[in-house]
Amino acid sequence: MSPSISLTINGEARAVALDDPRVTLLDLLRERLDLPGTKKGCDRGQCGACTVLVDGRRVNSCLTLAATLDGAEITTIEGLALGEELHPVQAAFIENDAFQCGYCTPGQIMSAVGLISEGSAGDDPERIREGMSGNICRCAAYHGITIAVQEATRNMIRTDKEDAA
Amino acid sequence: MSVAKPLPHDAAKLHVTGAARYVDDMPVPADCLHLAFGLSTVAAGRITSIDFDPVRDYPGVVGVWRAKDLPGPCDCSPSNHDEPLLAGNTIRYLGQPVFLVAATSHHAARHAVRAVKMEVQKRDAILTVDEAMAAESRFEEGPRIWKRGDAGEAIDAAPHRIEGRIEMGGQEHFYLEGQAALAFPQEGGDMVVHSSTQHPSEIQHKVADALGVPMHAVRVETRRMGGGFGGKESQGNALAIACAVVAQATGRPVKMRYDRDDDMTITGKRHDFRIDYCAGFDDEGRLLGVEFEQFTRCGWAQDLSLPVADRAMLHADNAYYIPAMRVESHRLKTNTQSATAFRGFGGPQGMLGIERVLDHVAHTLGRDPLEVRRLNYYAPTKGGAAPRPPAADSPRDILAKKKELEAHPDEDLTSRGAQDVTPDSSPAPTVPEGVQTTHYGQPVEDFILHEMTERLAESCNYAERRRAVAAWNAENPVLKRGLALTPVKFGISFTLTHLNQAGALVHVYQDGSISMNHGGTEMGQGLFQKVAQVAATSFGVPLESVKITATDTGKVPNTSATAASSGSDLNGMAVKAACDEIRERMAEHLAKLHQDNPRDVRFEEGMVKVGGERIPFAEAAQLCYMGRVSLSATGFYKVPKLNWDRLKGQGRPFFYFAYGAACSEVVVDTLTGEHRTLATHILHDCGSSLNPAIDRGQVEGGFVQGAGWLTSEELVWDETGRLRTHAPSTYKIPACSDRPDVFEVELWDGRNIEETIYRSKAVGEPPFMLGISVLMALSDAVAACGTGYPSLDAPATPERVLAAVRKLRDGV
Amino acid sequence: MTLHRPESLDEALSLLGGGAVVLAGGTDVYPGLRDGPPPSRMVDLTRVAGLRGISLRDGLWRIGAATTWTDVLRAELPACFAGLKGAAREVGSVQIQNTGTVAGNICNASPAADGVPALMALDAQVEVAGPEGPRRVALEQFIRGPRNVDLRPSEIVSAVLVPEATGQGAFRKLGARKYLVISIAMVAAVVEVSGNAISRARVSVGSCSPVAVRLRGLEEALTGATVAEVPGIVAGADLPGLTPIDDVRASAAYRREAVRTLIARTITDAMEVRDVT
Repeated sequence: MSPSISLTINGEARAVALDDPRVTLLDLLRERLDLPGTKKGCDRGQCGACTVLVDGRRVNSCLTLAATLDGAEITTIEGLALGEELHPVQAAFIENDAFQCGYCTPGQIMSAVGLISEGSAGDDPERIREGMSGNICRCAAYHGITIAVQEATRNMIRTDKEDAA
Repeated sequence: MSVAKPLPHDAAKLHVTGAARYVDDMPVPADCLHLAFGLSTVAAGRITSIDFDPVRDYPGVVGVWRAKDLPGPCDCSPSNHDEPLLAGNTIRYLGQPVFLVAATSHHAARHAVRAVKMEVQKRDAILTVDEAMAAESRFEEGPRIWKRGDAGEAIDAAPHRIEGRIEMGGQEHFYLEGQAALAFPQEGGDMVVHSSTQHPSEIQHKVADALGVPMHAVRVETRRMGGGFGGKESQGNALAIACAVVAQATGRPVKMRYDRDDDMTITGKRHDFRIDYCAGFDDEGRLLGVEFEQFTRCGWAQDLSLPVADRAMLHADNAYYIPAMRVESHRLKTNTQSATAFRGFGGPQGMLGIERVLDHVAHTLGRDPLEVRRLNYYAPTKGGAAPRPPAADSPRDILAKKKELEAHPDEDLTSRGAQDVTPDSSPAPTVPEGVQTTHYGQPVEDFILHEMTERLAESCNYAERRRAVAAWNAENPVLKRGLALTPVKFGISFTLTHLNQAGALVHVYQDGSISMNHGGTEMGQGLFQKVAQVAATSFGVPLESVKITATDTGKVPNTSATAASSGSDLNGMAVKAACDEIRERMAEHLAKLHQDNPRDVRFEEGMVKVGGERIPFAEAAQLCYMGRVSLSATGFYKVPKLNWDRLKGQGRPFFYFAYGAACSEVVVDTLTGEHRTLATHILHDCGSSLNPAIDRGQVEGGFVQGAGWLTSEELVWDETGRLRTHAPSTYKIPACSDRPDVFEVELWDGRNIEETIYRSKAVGEPPFMLGISVLMALSDAVAACGTGYPSLDAPATPERVLAAVRKLRDGV
Repeated sequence: MTLHRPESLDEALSLLGGGAVVLAGGTDVYPGLRDGPPPSRMVDLTRVAGLRGISLRDGLWRIGAATTWTDVLRAELPACFAGLKGAAREVGSVQIQNTGTVAGNICNASPAADGVPALMALDAQVEVAGPEGPRRVALEQFIRGPRNVDLRPSEIVSAVLVPEATGQGAFRKLGARKYLVISIAMVAAVVEVSGNAISRARVSVGSCSPVAVRLRGLEEALTGATVAEVPGIVAGADLPGLTPIDDVRASAAYRREAVRTLIARTITDAMEVRDVT
């Protein structure tokens, strides 16, 4: 049997036939859907480079079988910006030098977006560091990452408030 | 002027949108083949039988190669021609590639290799330092020994004496982007290779050698790496060669990337070291004589082990003047991965040896380690007398050099592992009066650590915190605090003198945009950005006018590895030379048009000021084009003043030194050995920083990586030689929550006394060794548990820390 | 190989057997899948109705088999669950907690499974569904050894059950790094205090034996103890259940020594911290 799934990726409905039900979401994105922004760091759920949002929650796409995602909504790093306008987390990463080699960056950013929407860390650096611990950065740009997440959190809260007002 | 500005990384927007491409992200044609290596499962032995039928039958498999099927040895070694791509019948380490599978997908290739049936007759493997020493299993004919004075005599005559040993582990690079290469066959047997490498010229050389074609038939391109840290200086050779060989054989594009466990199992890591020491000192702690015996496991092949071990010897003094010194270095051949370059390149290991000695001396005398360190610092050097005239080479030396210069056509001269000699060398260093020399004879002319230490000790409140730590430890039986401030003096230059050269290619187009290429590779260190800033500054144009293109052996040839922290120093100067050349041509032409003096033409703020007029740069470029002025130039740079004889251990291997100091405070749980870094304050010397934001990132990242090496990152091999820590679940690099609670980094605002690019200093490696402050602080905390010396080995895992605590408390 | 996504428990059961692999979050299953031979069938439980969520009925808390660690963290649970929540926070990363399930952690039966000691200290039972109807088995019996559980090929775990209890839970983990670490040793405790002394303590240790264990002898010895007495009792206790081994993360000797400190501290945490949710 060659299962076929329908899912929404970065707002676009996609139907995909899977030749092997063991295909992970990561391989599906990178090899089938021409979305190589999501990176393969360890391929076993321990580095976070492959983090994407599935129905709004951050997951390791290397540990997620594509076949189990029928009907799911996926957001990857390619789907974060609105046209030329960067997402506040993306902008904060540039502003605060939150990367060096950039390889973990897509995963860091998606994880940060997930963390901010979870709402449990706020702008407390200690909680942010804990919440971002699933994303390894070998260049150790952790200082910038923490500040970027803090700053983006504040900016997003401010924007939300302005929108509400 | 754009140098000295904290501008973000050149590809920042690409990175945050996921658009930055790495080798594995490049689109490939549908007929692209994918490779995987079949690995040995023993550390030493002989293959007695091997059955590939199940591999060949695996769906998707297109071909299988053993060593005998290759067009030649396909040597991957950067030095000694001792690394065939595939093992023949003799196995030299567990994880050695034995055969190569090409398949229509990565997964198919990877699954297929597991189907092999291989029988091996095991032999006794040499795995440890002791086993290698007992078997005299080593590289080079015997230990390398460098000395100044008679250290043994000095130690014997000294009022106090200590002896000890420190063991320090290796380190996995864990670049987030694993090794990867992609080869596209071209017409007429040419090959284009995309490689995640720090050393495109070496890839080009090794691929050409494997294919039996001249280097001009191979073009290597590297846009960026997802981290290198030294792990991509030579370790990418195997993948690039494998891809090229299969591409040549099949006529199809070929890609190879290691899965993480393969990457960790196959590739070399930082050298682990055992250092035995003996030191004699006076009542105040002034060192009078020091002897080191350094042992390092180099693994199965030579790779870059000789220069790594040399650099460990070269940093055995760190920041301290040691009147009598002897360093003996054993480079041991073991049945393990071939240890390789890793940020610091032996420097951290050598430096940790002397830092341990200083810590041990201070403990023995009951003095504050910082006082003892400062007491032993090299003399401050302000002013100084006029240099003595250089001594000319004797005719005999010249003859010897000529002989050494005989060409070795198959040798990769761009490798750090290349020949021993320094054919292109400056006169022996002169020593200004009042300037001390290192144990290898290099004058220390720019020693700024006295001032730096003073400022850091003040800004981090060292003295007050020292008292607070003592008070805390007196009150608290379980949680013990420790504090340490340690210096770094790191030598900048390749110790293989001829590598200290670089080329660049700069084009100015008629619309005023500038395209720039140089031999350096971008791995996150911000090299491209820094060099683009240099170019923009030269032409007085905004940074957006400058396009940085992928490193390409077809544009700039014979480049050195982007290594030894040299990237900005070398390539910045080469680019500047090319830009200056074009600018002078432009100035001359424009001056002629405006009847002005070329020297008075100014390139600023996107404009050219000439003859009282301001012309936009683009217009100036057009005028020059119309005037038939060449707007393209190559630039070249070679580092001056170098002179080094590695066999004697004498000369000036380094252009200059980069300095830094870090103060770390830790807390140790003396019942479990768990520990945490509470605060780290750093003051680091980047000369006149080309880009303070990038430099700060390098300092922070280097420190964290260095602290990881010495605390949590532990490589474990079992008794069969299997690396058991081959996944991030067992090998622990620092995570976001592991950085110090308080982390303050300041850059020292001095100028390089040497004429480097805008008087900046190299920053890639030196900050790594700031991590030593954490290990020394842990030693300080453990010392609070008793009266003995902790002799803490690295990495100081909770288990090692607890064992050290127990030893002090119970005397066991 | 095929993947099935049943929507009812009966449908799920009908797909079992014949080498079928059951998965929920999949975080433990996939890494093995990638390099091994493909299983004949995979059965994904995440769509089975009623299998996800935490509820209280007839004195039993029921944690459905598809309940993730994030679900546990977000659920409003009494104080005795504080240890389980503490464990949930340290299961891999948030990315793993968002997909990994409590039941999966149990079925994987790793000696280092984070959730098991906390559930053991809660006297958890495992509810197993099979062709002959449901059965219940104590967690301590359910895990028979490393990677070995009391589950026939025709059965699946449908829920983890925890009897309602008073008392305060706590959890501690020893590791080389603060988060994202597979444990060297971990301890979970549920302690009931009356006055200032322990009236009942339940203590379980993971990563120091092939399967996490309850320390019943110690639990008895702790009855009546005050906070000040706990370290001494733990230090002097005979702990025959702990049989740590050397592995790449730590030596047996280190585990044996450090775990006593960890035990004492976990119990103390449970006695001193009253308002953790």
